[in-house]
Amino acid sequence: MKQIKPHHRSVLTAGLFAFVLSFATGCVTVRPEQRSILADPTMQMKSSNRDEAALQHVLENREGSFGGGTVEGGGCGCN
Amino acid sequence: MASLRPLLRCAAALAACGSVLLVLLAPRLLHAQVAELSLGTTVFHEPSKVGSQMTVINPNASLVVTPWEWISVNAGYEADIVSGASEPVKAGKLSSPDIISQASVEDFRHVATGGFTLRKKNTRLSAGYAYAQELDYRSHGFSVSTATDFLQKNTEIELSYARGFDKVCNAAFPESRDPSLRLPLDSSDGCFKNADNRQEQDIDINNFQAGWTQAWTPVLTTQVVGTFQLQHGFLGNPYRGVVIGPSGQIAQEHHPENRARSAVAVRAKYFVRGIQTAFGLGVRGYKDTWDILGQTYQVDAERFMTPWLRVLLRGRYYQQTGALFWSDDYTGGEPLFGPRGQYWSGDRETSPMRSFMFGGRVLGEWRGAPGNRLLGMMLNASAAANLDVIQTELDDFTLAGLNPDDTFAIVFGLSFGGGF
Repeated sequence: MKQIKPHHRSVLTAGLFAFVLSFATGCVTVRPEQRSILADPTMQMKSSNRDEAALQHVLENREGSFGGGTVEGGGCGCN
Repeated sequence: MASLRPLLRCAAALAACGSVLLVLLAPRLLHAQVAELSLGTTVFHEPSKVGSQMTVINPNASLVVTPWEWISVNAGYEADIVSGASEPVKAGKLSSPDIISQASVEDFRHVATGGFTLRKKNTRLSAGYAYAQELDYRSHGFSVSTATDFLQKNTEIELSYARGFDKVCNAAFPESRDPSLRLPLDSSDGCFKNADNRQEQDIDINNFQAGWTQAWTPVLTTQVVGTFQLQHGFLGNPYRGVVIGPSGQIAQEHHPENRARSAVAVRAKYFVRGIQTAFGLGVRGYKDTWDILGQTYQVDAERFMTPWLRVLLRGRYYQQTGALFWSDDYTGGEPLFGPRGQYWSGDRETSPMRSFMFGGRVLGEWRGAPGNRLLGMMLNASAAANLDVIQTELDDFTLAGLNPDDTFAIVFGLSFGGGF
């Protein structure tokens, strides 16, 4: 039987994990009244302050990589 | 001066739009928060004992006006004021250090931006435009993005697309001239002025991004972001020459005309109630068709020290492999020192490297109220200072066998914001 290479196995594991997570979201219910911490400014993925954008600008000009930056989201505490 | 006219026209148009908006909205300004103004400056400094230091000062200003809940309009301006020196010729380990010299670098990059965001229930749609110009570069960028949340706002999906139409100035040489016979651009004189000895070369950029943010528990959120970018056109540095022959023959840097880049980032935020601190962890993988593989690991922690003051500490590690055509020295025949096919590069970003970053930010935020405005006019105000240091280790890059010493950088910024 053909052996799966270790790095292929880790990719498969990561893919399976992401696949399961994508379905698990349907079970997640953080109720509006539980969202006070998620709405905290320290819990936001994308800072409203411009320093992170400026830092990203510097890094992209000093490295060969690009992308995967933050998008908005984290919690709104609304509803 | 003529090159500044489009920018001045753009700035005048932005100012006119802003004035009209302010006049129309002035009565509302007195009653509700409709405008957010941000001002800031970032300084990037890369010291060097041998003269190849670089300093970039980046002043910026942005205004977001929200006349109604369903629409925001934004405009911004920023500049990169560049001064320093760099090596115009890249030689490798087999060359004499005497070949290395420094040339001063001075440039002023202007960027004007504008856009709007529409909101309806759980969905928002944004569109924007950015125009950038410097002595030897022009850029028009258009972007659209849309986002929606569902499952009681626990899940948010964002899709975005950006298109760049850029032009870079280059020496005018016939298309038929072999790249090994093309000499680097000696200055920006004549660029974008229809000079006979200059030409403009296109760079097309297509950028796709998708993001998924998920709240899992009252103290845990995660985010997955995938980015895919296509670049086509002149992707080298027109000023950079590379020694490609044992006799010292120099040719303009020659990169492939196409590059497909992809990155996937996974990050998480977790709030530890016991110490009232939010911890962040991020991992990013990167791959492109130049065969550069990159990996990034980032951690941060942020905490409110007082009700109005919060402190963020962050650390980052980055590592990449070299491009398929990277060689520190293209003159030596076969690898280890030798050509890599038909391309040559003097760009350290295409060489194998790693970098470490550590820093943080202190941010103060103050809130007023409609009847009790800060300084009599602001509903909120903020002030922030950030400092980060970056140390880069170049595994294979040398300047004629000498290790460059401009591998340490400091990034310092100050910013102020106010809501009116």
